[in-house]
Amino acid sequence: MKLGTRLASAAVLAIVASSGATVATAQSTLEIVKERGHLRCQVGNPSPGYYNLDSDGNWYGLDVSVCQAVASAIFGDKAKLEIQSVSTQARFTALANGESDMLSRTATWTMTRDTQLGIDFLSPNFYDGQGFTVRADSGINSAMELAGAKVCVTTGTTTELNLTDFSRVNDLGISNVTFEDYNVRDDTYLNGGCDAVTGDKSSMAGNIASFPVPSDHKILPETLSKEPLASAVRHGDSAWRDIVQWSIFALINAEELGITQANVDDMKANSTNPNVRRMLGTEGNLNEGLGLDADWAYNIIKNVGNYGEIYETYMGTGPLGIGIERAGSLNALWTDGGLMYSPPMR
Amino acid sequence: MAIVKATKTPVRPAPISETSVFGWLQKNLFSSAFNTALTLFTLFVIYLTVSGVYGWGFVDATFEAENRRECYDNSLTGACWAGVIDWFDNIFYGRYPREEIWRINFGGLLLVLWMAPLWMSRVKGKILVGASVVVFYPFLAGYLFAGGDKGLFMQIMVSGAIVAFAINMANAVVSVLRNQGLDAFVIQSLGKNTAPDKTQRNILLLLTAVTFVAAFLWQLSWTATGVSWTKWGGLFLTLVISGIGIASALPGGIILALGRRSKLPIVRILSTGFIEVFRSVPLITVLFMATTMFPLFMPEGFVLNKLVQVIIAVVLFNACYMAETVRAGLQAIPKGQFEGAHTIGLGYWGTMGLIIMPQALKHMIPNIVGSFIGLLKDTTLVSIIGLFDILGMLRSISKDVPWLGLHKEPLVFGAILFFIICFAMSKYSRHLEVKLSAGRKH
Repeated sequence: MKLGTRLASAAVLAIVASSGATVATAQSTLEIVKERGHLRCQVGNPSPGYYNLDSDGNWYGLDVSVCQAVASAIFGDKAKLEIQSVSTQARFTALANGESDMLSRTATWTMTRDTQLGIDFLSPNFYDGQGFTVRADSGINSAMELAGAKVCVTTGTTTELNLTDFSRVNDLGISNVTFEDYNVRDDTYLNGGCDAVTGDKSSMAGNIASFPVPSDHKILPETLSKEPLASAVRHGDSAWRDIVQWSIFALINAEELGITQANVDDMKANSTNPNVRRMLGTEGNLNEGLGLDADWAYNIIKNVGNYGEIYETYMGTGPLGIGIERAGSLNALWTDGGLMYSPPMR
Repeated sequence: MAIVKATKTPVRPAPISETSVFGWLQKNLFSSAFNTALTLFTLFVIYLTVSGVYGWGFVDATFEAENRRECYDNSLTGACWAGVIDWFDNIFYGRYPREEIWRINFGGLLLVLWMAPLWMSRVKGKILVGASVVVFYPFLAGYLFAGGDKGLFMQIMVSGAIVAFAINMANAVVSVLRNQGLDAFVIQSLGKNTAPDKTQRNILLLLTAVTFVAAFLWQLSWTATGVSWTKWGGLFLTLVISGIGIASALPGGIILALGRRSKLPIVRILSTGFIEVFRSVPLITVLFMATTMFPLFMPEGFVLNKLVQVIIAVVLFNACYMAETVRAGLQAIPKGQFEGAHTIGLGYWGTMGLIIMPQALKHMIPNIVGSFIGLLKDTTLVSIIGLFDILGMLRSISKDVPWLGLHKEPLVFGAILFFIICFAMSKYSRHLEVKLSAGRKH
């Protein structure tokens, strides 16, 4: 069945890619979205930190916040949003065929996807990388000491290929123990079925937090791969791309300027900083190029907060967070040595 | 001289080894040293399993906690049922707005009440009851679940459903209390039971029309809040999809099977082609085609309701399987039955409807119920294409941050739930078989 679905989705993608250029846009995406009255934003099957369902059936997470930010920019209301959960196999097809207006899920920005699937990636909202988890008492302090180890890995992703590459390049002779479901992978590791687990560092942090005794496990310092996780839109509608891209930049820029969900009203009324005034729409005409209201960025911050707040809530140490340290990581602001950087909003 | 006893030999009781529990045990479990060893070993394995499950699921289990860490604090080895309990609304109703959940429960209650007369032996007009469920209930339930503005068609169907339900209930009550149908009762209480048939029928029609107008006016006074299908989920969604699949697979299958056996070449070729194409493709491929390929052929921005696409796919797929089951049942009917039906002057539909199908369907009950159970379980495939049916919800618990990694307990719970539903269906089918073939035990 698995192979069948892959073949089917590959065939679908080929058709989409070949016909992508000929799909003429009679109506711009913004017009379609406004006419419909809500934004269709695609996520995947629940993934801790990025998009989850809570027990009341509401979506939450970093990527969900990005969806809410775009809905706020367009409608001034983050609830005018339909979150679509689409399987990994169908994700790019669902975007290319117009079912989703945008995609905000843990999709790694790669050249093939950007250039061959009829979609455009935007600037990443989370930089992830593959790492290893080992038992704290194993005496292993570096991935280079994993020679001959059995490593649990989920199959069918770049994670498995990266592990094989890493083992070959460093001549470690690692044997892969593959799993379909990462819960089973973790159970096997916990029961001693393998010496280490490999996966994206963000999900490893969350998984360790869910182990019976988290302090018995640690993440090794090495990072095996670059995983820039980015939102994406359909290729060919630059105006729509601008809206989504600058909504994401607004989140980052707000953090840089110190605008938070709590002080945004005060900033809007009293700030004398021209950068703040331009962004919040009290000065200049930044909104005109996007075709949105002057309040677009104000609405984003008012409804969902800035990037730093979102990070703390869902990826950081908040009650719903999965506990990934931000300071010193690639996801810190550029002023703190990270990669979160917004072009000037002027 | 003959060796003949003049008196009857007294009946001796059966030997103790045949009647007592110990005799049974000795004979079946401890008849030899090897069997004794095997019995003891099996008992040991059963003990290990049961005590393990009991310890994990009850003794060490946590039923009340805020998050998984609290479960661990309580016991590192026990089950954490608190997560499953916390997610009950999601598991049963999906993302349906919590203050509207009563609508789903009410819809389920209506169905049970509506069908109940079918199982009461004294109720008259069961065929009408069954037909009214199939014709009207889907519209009433559909509106109850989806809500929103009622179009004129929906208003008519909802009013019709209300009338049908009211008549059905009144009929059941009258049948049980007085052992006569509602129609006879009404005519009698109006004192018209000696009037000509035509007058009686007109009176009944008039009364129905009056009730319909009353129901129509009443339903104008309320509307249910719209709930988008994207919020449907959990067991509710599973039952909606498989319920519609089950209700339409049988009629669809009968039509396709008759088509395949038809003497008209075009009908036969089309039916055969349709059945073979759908049967040779995995269900998941049909689902993917319906949800991802289909929109490609539609105009830009046109998005058909994904749930409808899925339901259509499930119905077509299962109708094809059902068609083969029905065809197998038809093959089993001896040719003499057809010939006999022709001899007494029945046409094609008369033969099929009155002679062949009733016999064939009776033979097919085990297979049909088998298909239904399979259909119910296959429905969980829709979680792959992004609908949060019960399996999708159960798997999402392990991703919710407070319950991160909690995946065994939800799946165990789901297994128990599915077992209850499927076992009930299976038992009911046995009951039906026995009832329909009373006196003909095979």
